[in-house]
Amino acid sequence: MRSRRDFLKGVGATAVAAATAGPAVVSAQARKGVPSDPVKIGVIAIRAGIAAPVGAAGLRGTEWWAERVNSAGGILGRKVQLVVEEESNPKDTVERYRKLVLQEKVDVVLGGISTGVTLALATVAEDLATPWLSWDGTTQKGVDETMPNPKWAFKSVDNEVEAIVAGMLTPKYFKGIKTVAGIGNDYSYGHDCWQSYQAVLKRYIPDVKFVLELFPKLGVTDFTSHIAAIQQSKADLLMCSFWSGDATIIMKQAAAVGLFKTMKGVFTTAGGVHDSLKKDFTPEGLLLGYNTMYFDDPKGSPLLKQFVREYKAKYNEYPPYECDHAYFNAESYKAAVEKAYASAQEWPSKAQVVKALEGIEVESLSGRRSWREDHVQMCNFYQGITTHKNAYDFVTINPIETVSTRQAMKPAGAKLFDWINSWKL
Amino acid sequence: MTEHVVRVLLSGVFHASILFLVSAGLQVVFGVQKIFNLACGSFYALGAYVGVWAVQMYAAAGGPPAFFIVPLVLGGLLVGLVGVVVERGLLRFVYDRDETFQLLLTFALVLMLEDAIRLTWGTSPLSTGGMYLVYGQAHILGAAVPVYNLVVIAAGLAIAVGIGALLTRTAFGRIVRAAADQREMTEALGVDMRRLYALVFTLGTVLGTLGGALVIPATAAMSEMGIELIVEAFAVVVIGGLGSMRGALVGALVVGVLRSIAISVYPELEMLLIYLIVIAVLVLRPRGLFGAAATAT
Repeated sequence: MRSRRDFLKGVGATAVAAATAGPAVVSAQARKGVPSDPVKIGVIAIRAGIAAPVGAAGLRGTEWWAERVNSAGGILGRKVQLVVEEESNPKDTVERYRKLVLQEKVDVVLGGISTGVTLALATVAEDLATPWLSWDGTTQKGVDETMPNPKWAFKSVDNEVEAIVAGMLTPKYFKGIKTVAGIGNDYSYGHDCWQSYQAVLKRYIPDVKFVLELFPKLGVTDFTSHIAAIQQSKADLLMCSFWSGDATIIMKQAAAVGLFKTMKGVFTTAGGVHDSLKKDFTPEGLLLGYNTMYFDDPKGSPLLKQFVREYKAKYNEYPPYECDHAYFNAESYKAAVEKAYASAQEWPSKAQVVKALEGIEVESLSGRRSWREDHVQMCNFYQGITTHKNAYDFVTINPIETVSTRQAMKPAGAKLFDWINSWKL
Repeated sequence: MTEHVVRVLLSGVFHASILFLVSAGLQVVFGVQKIFNLACGSFYALGAYVGVWAVQMYAAAGGPPAFFIVPLVLGGLLVGLVGVVVERGLLRFVYDRDETFQLLLTFALVLMLEDAIRLTWGTSPLSTGGMYLVYGQAHILGAAVPVYNLVVIAAGLAIAVGIGALLTRTAFGRIVRAAADQREMTEALGVDMRRLYALVFTLGTVLGTLGGALVIPATAAMSEMGIELIVEAFAVVVIGGLGSMRGALVGALVVGVLRSIAISVYPELEMLLIYLIVIAVLVLRPRGLFGAAATAT
């Protein structure tokens, strides 16, 4: 029979063993020159208002990435810890951004959707000398770049790319279009999309006439009067850049008067509401965009398929594009840290991470994505013709057109309309 | 051309019907309690969410689509009972306070209800799917009009007539009008004001929630949908005259139809036109078109 003393000795030995085994295990995973504490990643996500569903999708994409990375041992053996703050108006968001960097001492900040906010964030990111990777926000004023050579800020694709892609695809799928009506939200994005779409379409169909433009306020939920005006315009085609609940609403109200029985339709992006475009009221034959990730891509990677499956199981929704903006941001940060470590053999400084990010290409949910040298995200846009032939109660697209930002986004330093007018078709 | 005129007018009247319900709720409360209830738009949003929820439950339970309007209206009516809670739990403490307190309190309600909606139903827009199209289209002078829109217009009119009758032809209506005109005298005559205020406020709330429920098949519920409507409801009560039900009806028609015409003729003028009329009314007839008697008639 063991004495009490032996028992205590035993306990002590186990405790010591545990104490020595602990760091031993960590150092087995962590590399030389890599701290053992978790790497803190700041996240800025919209939680309220019209962009809340998109913000939620970005956050979910980031969380999925973090779980995946952590279960595989972290970044160079360091676990990932997300510190989430809310994106609201520019002033408050800037304060929260400062808190993340100065108080929480995060290594990198991810997120930012509204360009109104990210214009302000970018300047602060430059001041605070911490890498900031934006999900969906740019530093554009209208279609013009305001920060062509940032050091710390990494920006999303230009806002108007989906409209440019739609402009390129319109003549391919809709023959004989002579007159076009447009509707978009009354703020920069809505107007910029309409301008860009017109510029592109004019290149393909020089004598096209734009017969009506409507810009209801963001948040309007009754478009019956707008639809009456669209019907009266007798346009061959309607271009709509709505991306939130209003896309669903106008689709339903248009169906109620049979608008698309006589008119073609282009919806540049289904944004965060693609699965609310039910077959009951969304006709086949519209050109519909999914922005930069199409959840139902039959050619999608195993990574995309796993993500869609797990996202559906967890949230009972099909993921929108914002998930992949967010996933790419986080994954490219990880790749940049690993790349910088390979040469420095120690956890890289923030400046080394930024250097490694420039031009880096990684496998993201929707395929390969990269950072252009001027810190703009490069990826694919997915648009196609709506179909009811699927297993869902909402429309999907077939055929699927994949257009790269290499084709549809103005090159670094270019002026948008000069660039469009310089195309050789 | 006639076809276009019909479309523009009917879409305007459709918008006006909803606007009337919300503004009527605002008017009846202001008429009697002298409280300008900023939360009328939030009640509208609440009604919309409960309406979607009721219809979704109904559809999930296998109810025939043609009768979806029954759970919709029931949901809209029942959630209006939240008015009793708000009146007894919050508003009754500020009746004798300065108007600033009342505005602050109802504005606080706007913020709280928006958050409550977000917590309960999440941030994604909710819709009743294709229920809107169940009743099909009617053809009026060549224009295809969704039958559901006509149902809403009819409901709006019926409610207007019903409230008119309630206020002018019933004992309750007489008491309400008396309380609006002479609160102290009415109280001295033995009317239980606590009960009356709770009833009137609930009536005002039900009008808002019912409006929200009725509109929802045609649109989608979004947590901030109330804010947009409050602004238009302001225009309605200024044009119609604060506290007047007839004013709410005429004001809603003016705002709804003019908005629709503006969108068709010169879309840039959509809201500007409404505000120009508001300014004109404020300058030329500050009490509004029907504000003369300042009663709830």
